Amino acid sequence: MKNKNIKQIKVWDLPIRIFHWALLVLILAALLSGFFAPEWWLNYHIWIGYVIIGLVIFRLIWGFFGSSYSRFVSFIFSPKILLEHIKGINSNQPIYFLGHNPLGALMVFALLFVISAIIISGLINLGGIENQGPFAFLIDYATGFIAGKWHIFLAYLLIIMIFLHILGVIFESKISRISLVRAMINGKKPNLANLDNKIAIGLIKPQILPTISIMAIFAIIFIGGYFLLSRQAPSGFILMEVNEDFQSECADCHELYSPSLLPASSWEKMMNELDNHFGEDASLDIETTKNIAAYLRKYSAENWDSEASNNFMIVDNKAPYKISETPFWKERHKNIDENLFKTKPVKGKGNCSACHADAELGYFHDKNIKFRNKPVK
Amino acid sequence: MRNIIIILIFLLLFPLTASISAPRDDYLGQLEKMAKQFDDSFSGFSVERGKELYFRKSTTGKAETPSCTTCHSDSPLKAGQTRAGKPIDPMAVSKTPSRFTDIEKIEKWFRRNCKSVLGRECTPIEKGDFITFLMSQ
Ligand code: HEC
Ligand code: HEC
Ligand code: HEC
Repeated sequence: MKNKNIKQIKVWDLPIRIFHWALLVLILAALLSGFFAPEWWLNYHIWIGYVIIGLVIFRLIWGFFGSSYSRFVSFIFSPKILLEHIKGINSNQPIYFLGHNPLGALMVFALLFVISAIIISGLINLGGIENQGPFAFLIDYATGFIAGKWHIFLAYLLIIMIFLHILGVIFESKISRISLVRAMINGKKPNLANLDNKIAIGLIKPQILPTISIMAIFAIIFIGGYFLLSRQAPSGFILMEVNEDFQSECADCHELYSPSLLPASSWEKMMNELDNHFGEDASLDIETTKNIAAYLRKYSAENWDSEASNNFMIVDNKAPYKISETPFWKERHKNIDENLFKTKPVKGKGNCSACHADAELGYFHDKNIKFRNKPVK
Repeated sequence: MRNIIIILIFLLLFPLTASISAPRDDYLGQLEKMAKQFDDSFSGFSVERGKELYFRKSTTGKAETPSCTTCHSDSPLKAGQTRAGKPIDPMAVSKTPSRFTDIEKIEKWFRRNCKSVLGRECTPIEKGDFITFLMSQ
């Protein structure tokens, strides 16, 4: 900086700086875990999301009770000032703002908005597809599916916005010869303002007590709401009553498969061909066959709303009742080494519970995948 | 005194052991009657023939299951495994005392497994031989 005599002003208070860098780290962690981590890391991704919710709520409250430059009023600009700012940049005589400049401020609001939208779409996706989280009781698979598309689209948008934000910071640092990055670390900027927003000079003290109280209220509402809601039965999971015939006759040769894993038409075909069941005679007396067939029909994939049931509805016509031949099954397990299915303790593709702790319930939640790259004991 | 206690314990246990094996004996009795109707020259079940059936390699059944040993392992004293990988208790009665004690279950599995391996149902003689062999193990 050329002029050392110019007074340094504390622009960014400590909470806003912590917020900024914590958000950066968490968003990076969320993006990495979302795009690259294996499915069974989903829980980490979700917990990162919950912490981001806390940060965003803090930021919104701090926008009303923080110190001068943290407050939203200090960076809500009229279109006129925005235009002047752009003109200034164009004519190489940029106006210097102590706090956020008008374009930067727009980006701040846009970032907060997009991050919130990502979190909401993520929670809807989680509730609909994975049947977990606070909205599991409310959201069906189809809605969760659309929310998932938005979640990913918005994540890409966020990446682009982060790049623009960084470009803006580099550009502004260059033309003003003040490192904005350093300012966000030590909080100080030189007081060169030739035009500043209305409250910039009159320094406002942050109001800690209201901030903490409101944060506490939000925490109670959110944490209480989370526990209350996430304990509700997920939508689309009817409680299957126990069918003794099914439980004893269909678990002699392999584990019990949830009726929700195949469509009714597939079950019907299977029950009609029990005397040639995958190269074995698995026939039963007529009474028992009928009883089991009715049970399977009642809780078939059409009558259930999990990620697995929605996707196993599409079967391979050459093997209409082999779950491990459905397109979705093959797609989801294509990265698994064939040899793993042959060796202990897996011993076969149909041995779902060797890798999925909740297989018998038909849930197949990502978090319950016991399998890492090697089989775990 | 000691002898009396031992005798008492035996007396108490006797109905228990008897009640476990009773259905098996009933079933063998039924099979024997059927076997006589099936074959006039029948003169009792044979451990040897049962053993032969247990280890027989068959080509008349389903390709996936050429023999009883496919699932019941190559020794009646050892645990077997279904094709899907689920363990099966040893077939020998000495290893698994509850073997052949539930008539519905025996009938169901004879029907299925004989059809899978031999391509037909087993005869009463084959069934009796099979059980007799496994009781001797
Ligand atoms: C006599 C043994 C036996 C019985 C009894 C039996 N199954 Fe099977 N089942 C098999 C075998 C063998 C396979 C094929 C396993 C493989 O190929 O890995 C199989 C496969 C399956 C599959 C496909 C699994 C996959 O990999 O996608 C389903 C579904 C299934 N069985 C359902 C049932 C139902 C429902 C019943 C009860 C009516 C039943 N089974 C009873 C032997 C049996
Ligand atoms: C060798 C272990 C293994 C076996 C056996 C196995 N799975 Fe999986 N399964 C996995 C892994 C690992 C994943 C996650 C793959 C990924 O997306 O990276 C997975 C994913 C899935 C998913 C998607 C879950 C989600 O939320 O995205 C479903 C549904 C599923 N498996 C069903 C089954 C069924 C049904 C069977 C039995 C017929 C089965 N699996 C057998 C390891 C296994
Ligand atoms: C495809 C695998 C398979 C083959 C091959 C097979 N079995 Fe079995 N068998 C089983 C299973 C599974 C059970 C039931 C599990 C148990 O009883 O522990 C069983 C049970 C039985 C039972 C009932 C036992 C009891 O305790 O009541 C008999 C009898 C039997 N098998 C006979 C045979 C005979 C005879 C053959 C050969 C002709 C044969 N099995 C071949 C899988 C097989």
